[in-house]
Amino acid sequence: MRNNVNRRDFLKISAGVAAGTATAGMGGEALAQGKPAAGFAYKPEKGAKLRVLRWKRFVQGDEDAFMKNVKAFSDKFGVEVRVDNEGWEDVRPKAAVAANVGSGPDVIYGWFDDPHQYPDKLLDVSDVAGYLGAKYGGWYPVAETYGKRDGKWIGVPLGAAGATFVHRISHVQAAGFKEFPKDLGGFLELCKAMKAKNTPAGFALGNAVGDGNSWVHWLVWSRRQDGQREGTRVINSPETVKALEYAKALYATFVPGTLSWLDANNNKAFLDGQVSITNNGISVYYAAKTSTDAKVKALVADIGHANYPIGPTGKPTELHLFSQAFAFRYSKAPNAAKAFMAFMMEKEQYEPWQQAAIGYITQPLKAYESNPIWTVDPKHTPYRDCVKNMTAHSHAGKLGYASAAAMADFIMVNMVAEAASGSKSPKEAAERAQARAQRYYKV
Amino acid sequence: MDYLESPMRRWVTLYIPLLCFLVILLFPFYWMAMTSFKPNEELVSRAANPFWIVQPTLAHFERLLFTTAYPQWMWNTILVSVVATFTSLAASVFAAYAIERLRFRGSKQTGLAIFLAYLVPPSILFIPLAAIVFKLGLFDTRWALILTYPTFLIPFCTWLLMGYFRSIPYELEECALIDGATRWQILVKIILPLAVPGLISAGIFAFTLSWNEFIYALTFVSSSENKTVPVGVITELVEGDVYHWGALMAGALLGSLPVAVLYSFFVEYYVSGMTGAVKE
Repeated sequence: MRNNVNRRDFLKISAGVAAGTATAGMGGEALAQGKPAAGFAYKPEKGAKLRVLRWKRFVQGDEDAFMKNVKAFSDKFGVEVRVDNEGWEDVRPKAAVAANVGSGPDVIYGWFDDPHQYPDKLLDVSDVAGYLGAKYGGWYPVAETYGKRDGKWIGVPLGAAGATFVHRISHVQAAGFKEFPKDLGGFLELCKAMKAKNTPAGFALGNAVGDGNSWVHWLVWSRRQDGQREGTRVINSPETVKALEYAKALYATFVPGTLSWLDANNNKAFLDGQVSITNNGISVYYAAKTSTDAKVKALVADIGHANYPIGPTGKPTELHLFSQAFAFRYSKAPNAAKAFMAFMMEKEQYEPWQQAAIGYITQPLKAYESNPIWTVDPKHTPYRDCVKNMTAHSHAGKLGYASAAAMADFIMVNMVAEAASGSKSPKEAAERAQARAQRYYKV
Repeated sequence: MDYLESPMRRWVTLYIPLLCFLVILLFPFYWMAMTSFKPNEELVSRAANPFWIVQPTLAHFERLLFTTAYPQWMWNTILVSVVATFTSLAASVFAAYAIERLRFRGSKQTGLAIFLAYLVPPSILFIPLAAIVFKLGLFDTRWALILTYPTFLIPFCTWLLMGYFRSIPYELEECALIDGATRWQILVKIILPLAVPGLISAGIFAFTLSWNEFIYALTFVSSSENKTVPVGVITELVEGDVYHWGALMAGALLGSLPVAVLYSFFVEYYVSGMTGAVKE
């Protein structure tokens, strides 16, 4: 256990503690691609006991299926597993504490770049990730980005709580669009037409950890090329300024009040008919389906889901709440921890769990694209591709405490909000974001 | 002097400001109560009156009390708050008495240092405290909270009691000393009975701080059965971006009642305790 905490450590710990995640492709090299993985075999220690910390379920079915899988693991390998649940935004401080005091849960299901903040405290799980990747069609590129550091896997990606553009099909059609636009220009035109019809769009511009970060990162990265300015910190770039000008035009079509919206606001506004387009997980559709209110239930047939439009980069640049499991070196049962992480990702466990979570979680392994959950209802299908369409929130920059701190500080969200609302010009907003980001990246 | 008080003047100087205070102070309670009895349909509807309920329901309380471990969280909160408060008060009485009355060399600086310790925010202290909690094997137990809460309660209570002890005439102690009383007898038989209002106000403050504490409770406890109310309701009643507002507000309402009842019983002592503590 470390007894001395210096300034650098403190900043790293603080970054870990902060909820949320990060921004900007300000620099750093792209992650090194991995070496061939070593073999993996299920060999948990005899009589091992595991403590697992995960984020609290998004839907009840998720937790029930997860616990069923945990029981199956315990029955099969004789390993006692205790699972603790924590609010999804509260897992990060607990993980940071566990990492820094060297004691706590054996396995944690955390978010985004959590493992990159304390990589030296984590087990190398290259064997597990290599085994799963080989067996299930390979990992999506973004899963490798988040799971690997310096060629080693330090996390086993679980998937992402994906978001799409949730919209009212009839309102989109009434605005003169047969289908949801797939490019930025078309999307802006749609929002303008819908505003004119008094069925406006609305996207969170408050400090919304999930929905706010998701759409603003997409918006800014949609105009950036991968590795375009590798090695430099360039959030203040001509592409960013163009993206912010677009945000300003888009904001003019929004329902009033989005500057203060947090994660829960857009759900409520959509279900109440205040907005006809927003970005969200499948929860809105699920809430409408299970509602006892006839008015809300009537929305089910009219709710559509579309993947985020593609910008001048020509490829998807979505950001979703990405989760991965990681195990600590202090664990007394490292093999059992690895076995647990692998077991939960096997087809027999993972697919039923995904189904029970009604499409809330999108897989990081390509083979699970064929899970029937994505086709049983055509409205689920866009969520299938969320991880495939993802760009890491650090863009070309290296994941770590700076990327986590920058996201926790809502630099990107605030930049877009400032430019969109007109409180700053796009150029000024980009300059301020750059200055804020540099504070973290200098450490 | 009543002739100087016209009804208009009385409205402007008393009733209207009082009404403003009441609205500001009671509105959060009103909102909590309204939301906790409102059905979900009315909660999300723009057409519904936000300040009133058309069809009140107990469904949120039912969910809170019977589908979550809320009663257990409440018991944990009570236990942790009461034990931490009494422990802290005992330590603070000795510390404040020593600093104010024994007047050893450096007593003033000690008092100041204790106050400065209170200014260190828990968000900085929780990492080193976590290391200690783990080393002592207290992680995920209620003892982790009972023993860490005094780190912010004792400085606060000591500072408050120092002010109150200062307001008790020194001559009373001198008389007792002449009559042969020991320091312990002076403390127990003279100072403490006179300092009851100060003790109550420090106790209420300590109890409230413990009751509302979040970051230590979040960090040092993992098991649902050991959680306190502030952490438990957030964990159990927020599912992703779906906030169960009705049940959350029901939890907040029930959680705030014990503190409100405590205040109402001791409000007179509390006011005089605060006045004693601040006067020089």
